[in-house]
Amino acid sequence: MSTHPVQGHGGPDVHDPHTLPSDDNVNPYTFCVDLDGQWFLQKGKMIAYYGRIDFDGIGHGRFDRLVAGNFHSPLHASDWVVAEGRGKMLLADRAFDVNSYDLEEGNLTIRSGNLLAFQPGLSLKQSIIPGFLTLIGTGKFVAASNGPVVFAEPPVRVDPQALVGWADCPSPCHHYDHQYLRGVMGGLRAMTGIGGASGEEHQFEFVGAGQVLIQSSEQLMPVAETGAVPQQAGVPGGGAGQHGVPQLPGSLGDLQRRFGL
Amino acid sequence: MSGDGVKAKNGAMIAYDGRMAFKKMSGGGEGLRGMVTRRLTGEQMEVMEVKGHGTCWFADRASEISLVSLNGQKLYVEASNLLCTDGGLRTGTSFTGLRGGAQGNGLFTTTVEGTGQAALLSDGPAVVLRVSEQYPLQVDPGAYVAHTHGLRQSFQSGVNFRTLIGEGSGEAFQIRFEGEGLVYVQPSERNTVGGDV
Repeated sequence: MSTHPVQGHGGPDVHDPHTLPSDDNVNPYTFCVDLDGQWFLQKGKMIAYYGRIDFDGIGHGRFDRLVAGNFHSPLHASDWVVAEGRGKMLLADRAFDVNSYDLEEGNLTIRSGNLLAFQPGLSLKQSIIPGFLTLIGTGKFVAASNGPVVFAEPPVRVDPQALVGWADCPSPCHHYDHQYLRGVMGGLRAMTGIGGASGEEHQFEFVGAGQVLIQSSEQLMPVAETGAVPQQAGVPGGGAGQHGVPQLPGSLGDLQRRFGL
Repeated sequence: MSGDGVKAKNGAMIAYDGRMAFKKMSGGGEGLRGMVTRRLTGEQMEVMEVKGHGTCWFADRASEISLVSLNGQKLYVEASNLLCTDGGLRTGTSFTGLRGGAQGNGLFTTTVEGTGQAALLSDGPAVVLRVSEQYPLQVDPGAYVAHTHGLRQSFQSGVNFRTLIGEGSGEAFQIRFEGEGLVYVQPSERNTVGGDV
């Protein structure tokens, strides 16, 4: 709890454009971008701004080149917004923890719902793992997590619900508890569910050199749509038949992006 | 607390020591006129009056709380974001103009004025932003919690034909504050009509 005098001398918690941090957290749940140029944001994550900033949906007109350079497909960029201009902009996501990370000529794969914003130096690609996105390049990005993020170095096994993302190391594989699956009891448990479970029989296993980002709770953030993949043999998740972002009736978004209207 | 009263959101008391009496105040203690205004404007608050000696703790769904001290100024706040006020503060309703429509919170807001302290609720700790003549501020309607007297607010919209074909930016509506004062925003957005376009 904090006390703020309404007017007159400002308390420590009163911010104006000069006291707001530059590309840093205001508090654990709010991030301030010192904008001079462009940033990409997920829709609806801006809470307030000073200065002159324009927000534009991606995928048309003068932003066509940006989409070509920074997004994996013009058809799936409609969740994103370009913020363009000068000023200080505050970002937040449903009061979850937010943090910024720097990538230098690197790559990072992140759960789609956790990514909030990134600089144009990075390009966003759809990972071949469903529900994940990969950022490649140099720049800063902002991600949300349920509870503060912990970094771990492989080799490490991570609970599927606690995984936020990983950088520079190969994609993870599944790992199951050998004792748990084997033998009569294992079969019985698999068939009937009787026998109890500790809830920790299955993990993601990471090897190689890199960093694994883990959130300090097992509450998943809602998944953001990453877009459908081509229905081809050899494409993981291909043919799942999900359609892209839900659109308003009468919307021409997909068509418009495809034909470059 | 020593014998004086506090107005609080109904049911927000979590614990107290000493002797306390809780009384439901119909119409937010604003009399018959206030009651009718609130019903008409949809800015309804369930308010109780707490009187007694001792300490009383208030909380609501683990939301974060900010205290605001008022010295005769006026504070505008969403009724759902107001937790409790000192008994000496007057509460009322005022017309906010167009922006309430996009916010989904109605066209009216609650005012608190007088001398004393008011406690505001926010989803996540509120960020206090100063507005001055050189530095106007734009706020997403879903993240707005409260603002102080002396600010002019206007509604700004970036709706264009892209929005109509479903290619909007998700930031189509903003409240613009100009003048001198403070604005409270929360790090979370309520679901608003404007948030989807």
